[in-house]
Amino acid sequence: MIRALKLEWLKVRNYRVFWILTGMYLLALLVITSGGVFFLEWLKSEGADFRGIDPTIVPIYDFPDIWQNTTYLGSYVIFLLAFIVIISVNNDLTYHTLRQHIIDGISKKEYLMSKMLMIIVMAAVSTLLIFFAGLVNGAIYSHVWGAEYIFQDMEFLAAFFYQIVIYCAMAFLLALVIKKTGFAIVVLFLYAFMFEPVITAIMVNAPAFRDGIAPDIARFFPIKAINNLISIPFGRYIFREIEDYVSIKALAIATGWFAVYLGLIYYILKKRDLK
Amino acid sequence: MKKILSINNLSKRFGRIQAVDKLELKVSAGQVYGILGPNGSGKTTTLGMILDVVAPDEGGYVWFDNQRPVEARKKIGAILETPSFFPYLTAVRNLMITAHIKQCGEENIEPVLKQSGLYERRNDKFKTYSLGMKQRLSIAAALLSNPPVLILDEPTNGLDPEGIAEVRSLIRNIAKQGKTIIMASHLLDEVQKVCTHFCVLRKGKKLHEGSVSETLGEINKVEVAARDMKKLETVISKFPGKTDFHNNGTSLLITMKEDVNAVDLNDFCFGQGITLKKLLTQRNSLEKEFLKILKEND
Repeated sequence: MIRALKLEWLKVRNYRVFWILTGMYLLALLVITSGGVFFLEWLKSEGADFRGIDPTIVPIYDFPDIWQNTTYLGSYVIFLLAFIVIISVNNDLTYHTLRQHIIDGISKKEYLMSKMLMIIVMAAVSTLLIFFAGLVNGAIYSHVWGAEYIFQDMEFLAAFFYQIVIYCAMAFLLALVIKKTGFAIVVLFLYAFMFEPVITAIMVNAPAFRDGIAPDIARFFPIKAINNLISIPFGRYIFREIEDYVSIKALAIATGWFAVYLGLIYYILKKRDLK
Repeated sequence: MKKILSINNLSKRFGRIQAVDKLELKVSAGQVYGILGPNGSGKTTTLGMILDVVAPDEGGYVWFDNQRPVEARKKIGAILETPSFFPYLTAVRNLMITAHIKQCGEENIEPVLKQSGLYERRNDKFKTYSLGMKQRLSIAAALLSNPPVLILDEPTNGLDPEGIAEVRSLIRNIAKQGKTIIMASHLLDEVQKVCTHFCVLRKGKKLHEGSVSETLGEINKVEVAARDMKKLETVISKFPGKTDFHNNGTSLLITMKEDVNAVDLNDFCFGQGITLKKLLTQRNSLEKEFLKILKEND
């Protein structure tokens, strides 16, 4: 385990691109999860209000709601981490270092493991960052304080961690299939932010589909399957009912995809000739 | 002798092309084994399969008495075609990765960099290296764990004449330490100069296998001349060590029996009162043999 992880560490330790992108990702994560109050103040200055309520009094950083709120927002920047995974996998292919490392004495399983361990470490760092940012923001803005509030709903942090791992496994597979860094990044971006959201939105909302099974099928789309682990929390501030828990069904679908990604990655590594 | 590698019934097809066809090979400890064949004859594919980067369609291979392939590969220093390193890392950092994978210490990095003449440039990034330097870094990486077996694919490809000579003498020196070397080459001359054993591949099939010296020694010819050619001819016709001879005008070309050599011939002639003015041992070159083997199999 440690050996497999150290292999990845030796690869990125002096790789400037990796550190710059990782730094930018962590900064983006911090900004999107901690900038809520500034965003609400900006809304107020623009004259917005929520049915007569001043936006700045919306308690987005109250414990324990803060965990669902920040992890939901944080999930919007996971794609940056996925780009790093794509770059790292494609480096191994284009520099032929994967091939050389197998010749030198690692198995394909060890390669899969070393990449997944790197992903797990990055997911853990991201989750810890959100956790500490949440503690700080909560300490400043929360109207309640105390362990019984703070440590409630921690499942959202676990769900966030899991989201990153699955998303990055998907990026790993995509990089192996597409092999060209730039192309893989564009495909992932367009699919995750354009094609799938549009298609699933039509399936869920279009009058022709919304009463059939289409909305149920939409839950199975890969990006939606990941996103559904943490539902949109902000409805609660306009008194709508929300899914304020990690649903077992969403967990099962996401886990199904995760298994598919790992299986396909292993299959491709095993079958493909490295030339 | 201890078996290092045995390949059994190994086959690989790329689309319509049968790259390797039911190949059987055995390599024993201490051999310098040349896999000889024209471009596209399946040499690199074969090496790729025994190193687990190309998946065989059929057949298999065994390293060192059935050791797990991934463990076996740690004891093999191998270079396949292009040098493969991270361009953004220095030579030392790249070799640290190799050392980590091979599970050998990092204390060998300095000596192999010195041996390959890269020590001065050790802290420069790989991407700043010339092709020859990149090639030498691959050799350094292959030697890093001091492996008992080396696999080299066209080791002198792309090197300048000086580099070629260096690599060849490096190979011979390594062979002298009792290491086993498996080498693919399309350069006959290279195999003849470096290898002890060889096989010939064409279209993925093994056409011939044997030791270099035996193959070259199969036909042992000596060219002789003397002042009195007539007398020489009568003397030679009585020489028991010959199987055949003919006069090509200026000299006699004698085909010798296997265990007879030029010294015996010279002694015989001297005993018969003839002093030779020309005595030339002709050994077959591998090139002739190679062409003969290819022709026989057409």
